[in-house]
Amino acid sequence: MVGSGLFLVSIPVLLIGACLAAALRTNTARGIAAVVTQGIAMLLVLVSILPILARGAEVEITWAWPAPIEQIAFRVDALGAFFLVWSLPMTLLGTVYSLGYLQPYFHRGRNGGPHFALLNLTSLSFVMIYSVQNALVFLLGWEIAAVAAWLMVIWDYRNQKIRFAGFNYLVSTHVGLFVLVAAFMLMHSYTGSMDFADFGKYLRTHPPGQGTLFLLLGISFALKSAFFPFHTWLPRAHSAAPAHVSALMSGVIHKAGLFAFVRFTLLAGKPEAWMGWAVLVFGAASAIFGVLYTATQRDLKRMLGYSSTENVGIAAMAFGIGMLGWAWSDPVLATLGLGGGLLHILNHAFFKCSLFYAAGAIYRATHTIDLERLGGLARSLPKTAVFFVLGALAMCALPPFNGFVSEFLVYSGLLSGAAPTTEGDLVLVCAAAVLAFVGAVGAFSTTRAFGLAFLGTPRDPSIHVGDDAPRTMAVPMAVHSIGIIVLGVFPAAALAIVEPVLALFPFDVGGAHPIDLADVLSPVVWACRGLALAFGISLLLARRRRAGARESVTWGCGYTAGTARMQYTGSSFSAQLSSLFRPALPVVTREQLPTEPFPQHASHLSTHHVDAVERRMFEVLGQGEEFVQETSSRIPEQPRFAFAAGLLALVVMALVAIGEVL
Amino acid sequence: MSIVANIVALLVMPVVIVGTINRVKARWAGRRGPPVFQLAFDVWRLARKTSVYSKVTTPVFRLGPMVVLVTALASACIVPLAGIASLVSFPFDFVWFAYVWSFGRVALMLGALDTGSSFEGMGASREATFATLLEPVLFLVAGALCLHGGVRDFTGALVGQLDGPSAVVMWGAAIVALVIVIQVEAARMPVDDPTTHLELTMVHEVMILDHSGPELAMLHLGAAIKLFVAVSVTAMLVNPLAGQHTIAAVAAHLGLCVLIAIALGMIESLIARLKLRVVPQYIVVALVAAGVSLLTMLGRGGHA
Repeated sequence: MVGSGLFLVSIPVLLIGACLAAALRTNTARGIAAVVTQGIAMLLVLVSILPILARGAEVEITWAWPAPIEQIAFRVDALGAFFLVWSLPMTLLGTVYSLGYLQPYFHRGRNGGPHFALLNLTSLSFVMIYSVQNALVFLLGWEIAAVAAWLMVIWDYRNQKIRFAGFNYLVSTHVGLFVLVAAFMLMHSYTGSMDFADFGKYLRTHPPGQGTLFLLLGISFALKSAFFPFHTWLPRAHSAAPAHVSALMSGVIHKAGLFAFVRFTLLAGKPEAWMGWAVLVFGAASAIFGVLYTATQRDLKRMLGYSSTENVGIAAMAFGIGMLGWAWSDPVLATLGLGGGLLHILNHAFFKCSLFYAAGAIYRATHTIDLERLGGLARSLPKTAVFFVLGALAMCALPPFNGFVSEFLVYSGLLSGAAPTTEGDLVLVCAAAVLAFVGAVGAFSTTRAFGLAFLGTPRDPSIHVGDDAPRTMAVPMAVHSIGIIVLGVFPAAALAIVEPVLALFPFDVGGAHPIDLADVLSPVVWACRGLALAFGISLLLARRRRAGARESVTWGCGYTAGTARMQYTGSSFSAQLSSLFRPALPVVTREQLPTEPFPQHASHLSTHHVDAVERRMFEVLGQGEEFVQETSSRIPEQPRFAFAAGLLALVVMALVAIGEVL
Repeated sequence: MSIVANIVALLVMPVVIVGTINRVKARWAGRRGPPVFQLAFDVWRLARKTSVYSKVTTPVFRLGPMVVLVTALASACIVPLAGIASLVSFPFDFVWFAYVWSFGRVALMLGALDTGSSFEGMGASREATFATLLEPVLFLVAGALCLHGGVRDFTGALVGQLDGPSAVVMWGAAIVALVIVIQVEAARMPVDDPTTHLELTMVHEVMILDHSGPELAMLHLGAAIKLFVAVSVTAMLVNPLAGQHTIAAVAAHLGLCVLIAIALGMIESLIARLKLRVVPQYIVVALVAAGVSLLTMLGRGGHA
């Protein structure tokens, strides 16, 4: 088959691109080499996988390989194809964005070669993770993605905080890797094989093994996708990384954890009901805590990072419903859950990348992403403002944008009353209420973020606002924004790639789909189209001021000497909410209050919202914040790229050695 | 008939409800009060005026009121406004209902933040905080009603039959929860005082301080429609004839809407507003009531 050959050609193309990016002399040439090779690889992959999504055929290639792997089976089924079909184009868009975003660094003489090479390797890791059927090669792809992401996070390595963030990420992701290795070793000891198909055969006949593996893999994938309480690496890493790296990590790279979860659910066959409940509750916890943390962050990218925890939580809730439906032999519920979860993953990738890109455009123009200091950017960065608001509205799942459609499917599953017992139904309705709470806090956070950064007047006069996003940055944002709108009013486009995945699952008794998700969505989508039309007309009417309208100052309630600093700030906006949820949202307050009638010393007050889990973790380790200080001072400033390469080689050798021993 | 009745009710009732509440409040205060249709006159007068915009504002400020009005209308399509059936109905339409309300709220808050006024930021913050507690209430109530009736759409859930004592408890708790939802969403006493003159204590009113002319008209209209929609939902629950295609059902529904408006007016006249920091606890009462209405399902025994 011609298509299958093309698929594998993408691997050398990406490697050549990485080498060119490292070897060429100018940053422009390096960037173009990365973009062009990624573009070619993307086309090759798309050409070979589109038939899979269209006809359900599968690409299967087996390579003979030296011991211990012996043979690598590449098999792209609809599940892998679903993830590949948007991961590679989005990585390409991220690379295009980086050309503009890193421009100021290039002007200062920074070499972008390794960074572009790493972006190529990230694409390569997707090709591997989403297609191989061999546990060892899967681990290799997993590790390439992790190490590449780490090296991209510490782009600004001269900053000690950023080095610590990278280190923190590296440790967390490897803890996840160890658990994953343990799971694979366990499977190898049972089956004597490293092939996923053999794993599947064993799991389907030995239910106890299924439970153990479910827990081990669950922890590993939860660390990868930053589920609560395994999310501690995430806020630091997202805040430290360049915007496109944050976007790719949040929107694309860490979806591998969810992919792996679905892959093993598929392999293990019909789950037990407790697994579905566990995933549902775990997802709900992630969604609640993730979204509560978004409400109090000062740092825009940290806030977007926490929102990833929220959104993977929502996707996990959906998968939990899907597993419950499967366990209860209710194909309708299973389809709604799994379909909603997969659609939400795709939708999240669209709006989260767009939001991170917009945050990057803010950083490039103002050199800060501190919400307390920004304000009034809608006038100086109009393009970015439009892209940000579209992403923000989709993020809090408001119709007619794409986030709403997938959450609607999740609600349809939760509220359908499909559980076999009344108690089950009640829990599902409560989960729907949780989702509603998450949506409302999400609306709070996005209103706060957009309102404070883009509306009002600038809060800090010392901030000089530079140019709006150049074309290389605006085009990726525009593509994502179009996706947000199109998938909101025409979700059939996304369902076309989701439904082949659902067809893989053997939960329907009859032949065809038990329900068509497009039919479920059809009425609400028409409603969304109507709403979109009404908003479109409103937008046309509101674009210009009506003739004769007068201009004046904002009503100051009788006070005439108001200044920009008197506006509501991020902390004041979230003060009431954070006091309501104080146990989950700890605040560190440093204050020196005036003592005498005529204070001799300047007083000050600062509040800092810290991550409860991370704080507890560092406390257990012995020190509080000092631990961060101490560890980060021990991380050397010069990035040891040789060390990183060595680490990579070590992992490969370790994998080979493991195979040898077994 | 149902379509015509819905449209007529949508055109007339929001004004009547607001007028009735104001009239009742005036009576309690010993005044005659404005005409029942005062809101219509106000909106007409404002719509012909020219607007004054703050120098700080962007197109977001002008777009906000339109979005508020559009989302209010979109939510009105889902609810049976004349006691028979809604204009549009599809499975889980109450999810759509909750999210378009949420969109309207976001638009209003963004418009408020666009002025750069600290008071308006304050109002937006309060509104957003209350909404986080209020949103689950709607889903718990709607979920309980759906499970009870074995239906999936809002209209079907609202016309359920009361069979047995547990259903009566569920029904009572749902009404308590919905009344609190009205008070918070429509910014009525004891959560928010629409007639206060102190910006520091306002919630809804402070967010529209800078709007004028047609924008203010749209906001008033949007708020009135939201109030009527919420009252109509409660009236559907109370109305024993709800869902029947008879003139009597329509008359009973509209009469009940006016009665609820009178009740709201009495509550506003007789109760002082709550302290702002107590409001979240008040909303938690709604949450508990909604939880109770859901838990009564356990008492029903057997699977619906």
